[in-house]
Amino acid sequence: MKLFSKYNRINITATILIFLAGSVAFYFVLNYVLIRQLDTSLRSEKQEITEYIQQHQQLPEIQNTKEQWIQIHKTDQAEPNSIIKSIPIYNRSESEIEYIRQLTFLVTVNKENFLVTVNKSETETEELLKLIILVTISMVAMILLFNYLINRRLITSIWQPFYNTINSIKDYAANQQSLTLSKEPIDEINLLNESLNRMTEQIHKDFYALRSFTENASHEMQTPLAIIRTKVEALYQHAEGKEIMMQQLLSIEDACLKLSKLHQSLLLLTKLENKQFILNETIQLSSILKEKCEERNDLIDSKHIELKIDASEFVMHFHQHLAEILISNLLNNAIRYTANGGAISIILNQQLLKVSNTAIAGSLDTERVFTRFYKASETGTGLGLSIIKEICASAGFEIAYQYEHEMHHFIINFQA
Amino acid sequence: MWYFVKNIGLKLLIVEDEISLKQSMIEFLSASSYLCESSSNYQDALEKIELYDYDCIILDIMLPDGSGLNLLKNLKQNNKTDGIIIISAKGELDDKIIGLEMGADDYLAKPFHLSELAVRVAAIIRRKSFQGKSHLIIGSISIDIQGKRVTVADKELDLTQKEYQLLLYLAINKNRVLSKNAIAQHLWGDDMDFPDNFDFIYAHIKNLRKKIVAAGSEDCIRSIYGEGYKLQIA
Repeated sequence: MKLFSKYNRINITATILIFLAGSVAFYFVLNYVLIRQLDTSLRSEKQEITEYIQQHQQLPEIQNTKEQWIQIHKTDQAEPNSIIKSIPIYNRSESEIEYIRQLTFLVTVNKENFLVTVNKSETETEELLKLIILVTISMVAMILLFNYLINRRLITSIWQPFYNTINSIKDYAANQQSLTLSKEPIDEINLLNESLNRMTEQIHKDFYALRSFTENASHEMQTPLAIIRTKVEALYQHAEGKEIMMQQLLSIEDACLKLSKLHQSLLLLTKLENKQFILNETIQLSSILKEKCEERNDLIDSKHIELKIDASEFVMHFHQHLAEILISNLLNNAIRYTANGGAISIILNQQLLKVSNTAIAGSLDTERVFTRFYKASETGTGLGLSIIKEICASAGFEIAYQYEHEMHHFIINFQA
Repeated sequence: MWYFVKNIGLKLLIVEDEISLKQSMIEFLSASSYLCESSSNYQDALEKIELYDYDCIILDIMLPDGSGLNLLKNLKQNNKTDGIIIISAKGELDDKIIGLEMGADDYLAKPFHLSELAVRVAAIIRRKSFQGKSHLIIGSISIDIQGKRVTVADKELDLTQKEYQLLLYLAINKNRVLSKNAIAQHLWGDDMDFPDNFDFIYAHIKNLRKKIVAAGSEDCIRSIYGEGYKLQIA
C-alpha cells in the first residue's frame, strides 16, 4: 500500500468517526435544548391561563393557532399535578404522523375542575433540527473532500524528494558509482539522502577493494605456484633412473595444478557473484558444445563411453567465455562420473540443455549437489557445479538435478 | 628454404620481476640454445628494447615500476617487429584480449609449463623470422611446420592431428623429460579434467612410436616410468 493511501485511509476513517459521534451528540443536545424551549413556552402559557383565572374567575377565551392550541375539558378528578409529554398525532392535512408537546394541568373555576391541555407542535423544532443536521453533514462532506484534496497535493509535493530517493536506490547495484542524492529542504529527507550517499560510497569502495584484493591475491598466489611448477619441471630432468623421485615430482605438479585451478574457480565465483560479466554477446551454444565434445573425444573413447548428442542450432544472448566454462564443466562432470562403458546423452534446444550420464553409485545428494566443495569422489575441485549454478543464476537460467533410471540428469532451463 | 636445427643466434628477452621464475625460464630456454637476456623491471626493459632487437620478448604485465602493456605500446609505436608473448598471473580475460589487441603474438597465464612456453616461443619465432617456412630436423625425422607434414627418409608419415602436435611438442623440447600433465595440457588445453590414469595419452604415444619405427627411424621416444616422456636424440 502506498504511503498516501495508507495515510488517507486512517485520516478519512478517523474524520468520519469523529464527525459521526459529534453529529449524534449534537443531535441530542440540540433536541434537548429545543424541547426545553418548547416546555418553557408551554409553562408560560400555563402561567398566563392560571393568572387569568385567578383575576377573572372564569375561563379565558381561547384562540388556537396552527402551532399552538388549547383544549379545556370538565373533569372529576382532582389531582393538581401538571404533566408534560410528547405524543404522536395524525395530521390529516399532511397525512403523516407528527409529534406534539403537550402540557396538561388542572384549573378550578367556580369550584368546578377543568383539565387544560396546551399543545404545541414540534414540527418547527423538527424542521430546525433537520436543517441544522443537513448543514452539518454537508459541512462534514466538504471538510472531507477538501482535506483529501489538500492532503493529496501536500503529501505528493512534500514526499516527492522521498520518492526520488527510493527511485534512485531501487536500481542501485554495488558495482556502479555511489549515489549522489541532492540536498533537500526537509531535514529528515536530507538526513536520509546524506546517509545513503555515505553508505553507497562505502559500498562502492568496499566493492572495489574486495575486487582488487581478489585479483591481487590471485596474482600473488599464481606467481609462487608458477615458480614451484618451473622448478619441478627442471627437476624432472634429473629424475631419470629415479622412479620414486619422478612420482613425487608428479604429485607436486598435480597439487600445484589443482591449487591454481581451485584459485581460478574461486576467483570466477567471486566475479560471478559481483556480476562483473556483461551478458550481451551473441553466441551459438551448439557449436560450443560440439567443439568441447571434440576436445574430449580421446577421453571419452578411452573410457569407452557412448556419447549421444541431439542439438539444434540457435543463437542466444550470453557470454562466450562463460558459455564455454558452463559446457566444459558439465561435460567434465559427466565424463568423470560415468563408469567405463557407460553412456552420456546431451539434448540441446531453445528451451533447455540436458546432460545425462550413467550413474556409478546411486543418486547424488540433491540438497547439497550445487553447494561449494560438495564432492561425490575425491577427484575434482568440488566447485564445478557451484560455478555452473552461479553462471545460470547470472543469466537467469534455472538449473535442476534429477536422478532417474540410474542416470544423473542436469537440466538447464533457458526460459525460466 | 630455411632450416633451423638449432636455435643458435636467436635472441630472447625475458622481462619478469620474480627472480626465481626468471632464472628458471633463462635456464630452460638457454638449454634450447637460445641467447637469453633478462630484465626485472620496466626501466631496464625499456632501455634494452630501445637499444636491441630480439627475436622474441617474454613479457610479464605486472612489473614493480610500470606495466608490461606500456612496453608493448612502445614497441608497436617504434614499429619493432620483435615477437611478443605475454605472461601474466592475473589470468584476466580482459588482459588477454587487450594484450592481443595491442599486438602481442601470444598470451600465457601463470602458472605455465616451461615446455609449453618453449613451444609458443618457437611458434612465434617461426612465424616472425622464417615467414613460417621452416623445417625441424630431429635425427632422421623432418617436420615441415608450414605444411604440417612429417617425413622419415623422404617417406611421409600418416599422423593424426594429435599425433602431429605431440611429435612437434616433443621435438621442440627434445632431450627433456615432459610430464604427463604438461603433455595433456598442451594437447587438450587446461579447461579439461584429466582422469588419473592418463591412458589416452599413452595410446597416442604408442601409436606415434609405432608409426615412426615403421617408417624406419630409430625409436627415439622414451617413457620415464609412464609418468613422463622424452624425445631423445644424441
